[in-house]
Amino acid sequence: MSIEPIETARSPFAEAFEMFRKNHAAVAGLVLLFLIVLGGLLGPGIYPGDPFEMVWAPFTPPGEEGYLLGTDYLGRDLLSMLIYGARVSIAIGLAAAFLTVFIGITVGALAGFYGGLIEEILMRITEFFQVLPTLLFSMVIVALFGASLPMITLAIGLVSWPAVARITRSEFLRIRELEYVTAARACGVSNWKLMFKVILPNALPPIIVQAALMVGSAILFEAGLSFLGLTDPNIVSWGQIIGSNRPYILDASYTVTIPGVAIFLTVLAISLVGDGLNDALNPKLRQR
Amino acid sequence: MRHFFKTLTLATALVSAVASVSVAADEPKKGGTLTMALQQTPRHLNPAVQSGTATGQPGTQLFASLLRYDHGWTPQPYLAESWNVSDDGLTVTVNLVKGATFHDGKPITSEDVAFSIDTVKANHPFKSMFAPVQSVETPDANTAVIKLSKPHPALLLAMSSQLLSIIPKHVYGDGQDPKKHPQNSENVVGSGPFKLVEFKRDQHVILERYDGFFMKGRPHLDKIVMRIIKDESARTIALESGELLVSGFEQNPRDLNRMKKNANLDVNNSGYAAIGPVNWVAFNTKDGKTSDVKVRQAIAYAIDRNFILKALMLGTIGASKTGIHPGSPFYNDGVEAYDLDLEKANKLLDDAGYKKGGDGMRFKLSIDYGWPAMKPFAEYVKPALKKIGIDVTVRSSADFPTWAKRISTHDFEMTMDNVFNWGDPVIGVHRTYNSKNIKKGVIWSNTQQYSNARVDELMDLAGATNDLEERKKYYAEMQVILAEELPLYPLFPSPYHTVSNKKVMNAPNSIWGTSSPLDNVWLK
Repeated sequence: MSIEPIETARSPFAEAFEMFRKNHAAVAGLVLLFLIVLGGLLGPGIYPGDPFEMVWAPFTPPGEEGYLLGTDYLGRDLLSMLIYGARVSIAIGLAAAFLTVFIGITVGALAGFYGGLIEEILMRITEFFQVLPTLLFSMVIVALFGASLPMITLAIGLVSWPAVARITRSEFLRIRELEYVTAARACGVSNWKLMFKVILPNALPPIIVQAALMVGSAILFEAGLSFLGLTDPNIVSWGQIIGSNRPYILDASYTVTIPGVAIFLTVLAISLVGDGLNDALNPKLRQR
Repeated sequence: MRHFFKTLTLATALVSAVASVSVAADEPKKGGTLTMALQQTPRHLNPAVQSGTATGQPGTQLFASLLRYDHGWTPQPYLAESWNVSDDGLTVTVNLVKGATFHDGKPITSEDVAFSIDTVKANHPFKSMFAPVQSVETPDANTAVIKLSKPHPALLLAMSSQLLSIIPKHVYGDGQDPKKHPQNSENVVGSGPFKLVEFKRDQHVILERYDGFFMKGRPHLDKIVMRIIKDESARTIALESGELLVSGFEQNPRDLNRMKKNANLDVNNSGYAAIGPVNWVAFNTKDGKTSDVKVRQAIAYAIDRNFILKALMLGTIGASKTGIHPGSPFYNDGVEAYDLDLEKANKLLDDAGYKKGGDGMRFKLSIDYGWPAMKPFAEYVKPALKKIGIDVTVRSSADFPTWAKRISTHDFEMTMDNVFNWGDPVIGVHRTYNSKNIKKGVIWSNTQQYSNARVDELMDLAGATNDLEERKKYYAEMQVILAEELPLYPLFPSPYHTVSNKKVMNAPNSIWGTSSPLDNVWLK
């Protein structure tokens, strides 16, 4: 008679990692994302070139004259713009996601923890931002304060935080009633510590998922604004390449398609990773 | 065989001649709606107090002027039945058409003409148009006598198209500021062939036939819908699909080449010589680094005009070395052209005391642009000037008025600009350089804040004589000085074209392009 070995208890993160690892789509997304980020970080080293420099005749099709992806309407090398743009696009995505999460967590945590009048006020503000048409609102911000990179990022962050705030609040509402919170409160832990040391870590999983997806949607959002012409001509982002080549879409569609594909792949990768995280971090979904 | 071909050619010529005769013999058909494009939202619709073709295209339908011009620079009677310039050039007598009425039915009299000239003189940004006008006398309802302080060679051109809209004294003479008059945008009481139905900002201007128009049998069209379409590709597609029938001032080389291949479209550039659009990089000559003439010259040497002409304009247009349109009799081709010379540019900057820093850069500058078509040129300047160590920031404006405000309040270092000659240098050229025309808040005044006593003097001399040869001499010298001091660096004239559907008969081809009355246009 053999004795079944007792399964050793694993940390929740190891468990989540295991779940994630089994999700092939998510792993594929992660690999793709890794490659894209690596390309953005190391690309300029491997393929040096000023993305603003006019290297050859405008609208040289991909592959001709040694320019793998061709040149745009000013004769700038699309490949070097694409590599350079990867950093900017991903930076916009990360910065906007960070801003979203920062505002969202602050508002959601305060509302969920304190309840009462504070919650009323904060949630009405959240709803106010939620009912504004996001694209229109961000266009107004950018049009009023100028199409600079920080302003575009700020605009995306400002229109996107309500979702995070609502998730955070609902998690806080649930967790604050749990025994260990009551116990911590009984031990005299300060409100501040209760909020950010006791409750927040336990509320994080859905917020992480939301933040990951936010990076992708921020990149898309920036491309959307650029397409509408609200773009900073002093930077190169994927959206900006699309936006400024848009007038030539009928003659040289590759100038728009190539950065479009880059955005598509990146957002796809981020979505796959986000979904994988969602499955891995949400215990209710693990039985699937 | 050769004989056969000759006969064939002759036959073809004959057939086409007959065909064209039969087309010409076609009676204009009444009715129909002409859809047309405007590229910008006009500030308002009263050209008497607002320049620019966004206002001019609907404005010339709403308001008649005294004269009109055909495509050969010959003045034609319009609201003025006849006119006479005295031998000393100091008195111009205008006889008005009898029975002409405004859109509210009230008669158009010489009082209105005098009032219009006064209003334009006081409010229109082109101060030089009527500056020599001392008084307008009105001996009777149909005669206006314009008294001048000196011969004024530009007067007849200034009395045509959108430059002198005849506006009703009983509406605009109510004491309100004519620039902000509520009836500039709604309930417009005009004198032209069409009256206003609706003006919706960023959407459209809808006009309909004024049945009481003073030219019998005109206009032919029932209605003109001017749709405000800012996007070039959208206009191209709308023209190709027949959704739009006419669009003036089209200048995107790629779209033009594409539309030229379309059998349903007529693409032609006749008619823009008088508009005289010249593109340039303007400098703020008073503040900042660009106040140094060496910096301006260095920038000119670093900008490769030939690259712009070949790569961006696809050879659709040649260079313009000065601010006077190359098609003008006053254009001086002999001035310094500032062909690409990076060595010279670097040396000029070194001499000016701007040494290169450790990163190879000297200083920062910004360049503005006012509308999308100008963006590629501004973007081009950035890498071009990086080569001589100037770090250029391209500053975009949310819309045209934002840009206009920045430039006209002198809040800029460099800007791409496109300024029109408006027929005679007195009207469209002097304003850019005249030191008396530095007017805060007025776009296309001397926003460069350039000031040179000799240039002022030369313009005064050239503007006070009707002697063509003498004027040529003055303008030639002026262009040499301007090329030396470079308040702006001229690049090329805009390749303006009118694109019209072949259904449109008598598509506008006068020297004012589509900024002219469309009363003679009809649809087949």
